[in-house]
Amino acid sequence: MWQYRELIRNLTVADLKNRYQNTFLGFFWSLLSPLLLAGILYFVFRNLWGREQDFAINILVAVMAWQFFATGSSSSLRAIVRNSGLVTRVYIPRQILVLSNVLTSLINSLFAFIALLPILLILLGHLPITVLLFPLVHVIYFSFMYGLGLLLSALYVYFRDVDQIWQVLVRALFFGSPIMYPLSIVPPDLLPYYLLNPITQLILIYRDVMVAGDLPSLYGIGIVAGFAIAAYLVGSFTFKKLERRFAEAI
Amino acid sequence: MSAIIVDNVSKRFRIPHEKKTTVFQNVVGLIKRQFSYEEFCALKDVSFEVKKGEALGIIGRNGSGKSTLLKILARILYPDSGSVSLDGKVASFLQLGVGFQPELTARDNVYIYASILGVGRKQVDKMYDDIFDFAELRRFENMKLKNFSSGMNMRLAFATAFHAVPDTLLIDEVFAVGDQAFRRKCHDKMTQFKAESKTIVFVSHALDAVKELCQRSMLLHEGRIITMGDTEKVINDYLAMLQRGTKQ
Repeated sequence: MWQYRELIRNLTVADLKNRYQNTFLGFFWSLLSPLLLAGILYFVFRNLWGREQDFAINILVAVMAWQFFATGSSSSLRAIVRNSGLVTRVYIPRQILVLSNVLTSLINSLFAFIALLPILLILLGHLPITVLLFPLVHVIYFSFMYGLGLLLSALYVYFRDVDQIWQVLVRALFFGSPIMYPLSIVPPDLLPYYLLNPITQLILIYRDVMVAGDLPSLYGIGIVAGFAIAAYLVGSFTFKKLERRFAEAI
Repeated sequence: MSAIIVDNVSKRFRIPHEKKTTVFQNVVGLIKRQFSYEEFCALKDVSFEVKKGEALGIIGRNGSGKSTLLKILARILYPDSGSVSLDGKVASFLQLGVGFQPELTARDNVYIYASILGVGRKQVDKMYDDIFDFAELRRFENMKLKNFSSGMNMRLAFATAFHAVPDTLLIDEVFAVGDQAFRRKCHDKMTQFKAESKTIVFVSHALDAVKELCQRSMLLHEGRIITMGDTEKVINDYLAMLQRGTKQ
């Protein structure tokens, strides 16, 4: 893969350029749109629903964490099929298409979190020192997304229903994670299973390091890292198996 | 010294009776136990070698397996059995301008296309002027590709591809574009490659071009090598085969 770093870079940059093509503000949108989203969320939850400030802040963090998963996975799902020209007409390691796609999502997610920092600073009055752990968490998150992207994109070449099925799963996970409601409303007897969800754990970790200033729980890190490794192993195994007939099946 | 060794390569395509692309159709198929697909043998036990610096032509009728063979050499398709080994850096031109992005400028696209062909940024920087002079598109380097005519598109693709010089070139019928002058330039470039003793595999229906470029050729028919050897002789065999075909 290393000898293809130039190609990975070019594809990622092209992806980003394409996204903001023909807009006046260009790249600035990748900062502006998460800011606006944060503004809407904060306004709705703080003023309209009259929730306390802490809750509104927690929603901001959770939504930023969620976005990477939701948009990243649905776009990497199509990474192979969308680039059918590069699959059927020329040889490049096909993982590159998935990797550059997930990298694009990662960059967007980084912009979103960067936009979040000044907001947190204003609302909290300070930034906890544990924010420095953010890159580490995001690296684990990224490898989870890459493994998932390999799996989904390879399956999608053969079974186009994967798209619809995945959309349903993503929606289910949205309500299965503590984004729009606090963890405390989850029934205690369900809680152990609920906490097995890696997205739940990621949200809790981001809240710990970015808002509460706590070190994340080892259990949470373990779950997320475990899912990341499993996703990578299953993803690259499936991808390798299915890749052989990509050019015929696409 | 062999640059390309192909050993007993076979390739079968599955042609499903009913194309199933959704989980639902596959579930129905599972229950009804219909996995029916026909196998179509595109290549049968093909073996040959190409020496370093040699230009090999591949000719044959439509559906004889030429393009499949080239795609296997390019590692786009995997053979079902047999093995292929290629020496050095390989660039395949099955279609030009693969990965061109219409919303980006000509300049961006040259860098993207070059990196697809395995050429780094620094190398492109060095050849950048040459590429645009060759393509005669100097004035349009900052224009978005979607505003290019198809001729300009092809010229840019050609110019980039020709400057991304690998050790081995796999070329599928991509020549008949551009005006006379540009075709002349492409032709000269090919001759230059040959003089620089690059290994070339050339698939074409244009027998004159094959005759001019390749000393040795191969005639494929229904996935098998019929004859292989001196281009003149192979072309005669091919023409004879075509004539037999029309008489029947």
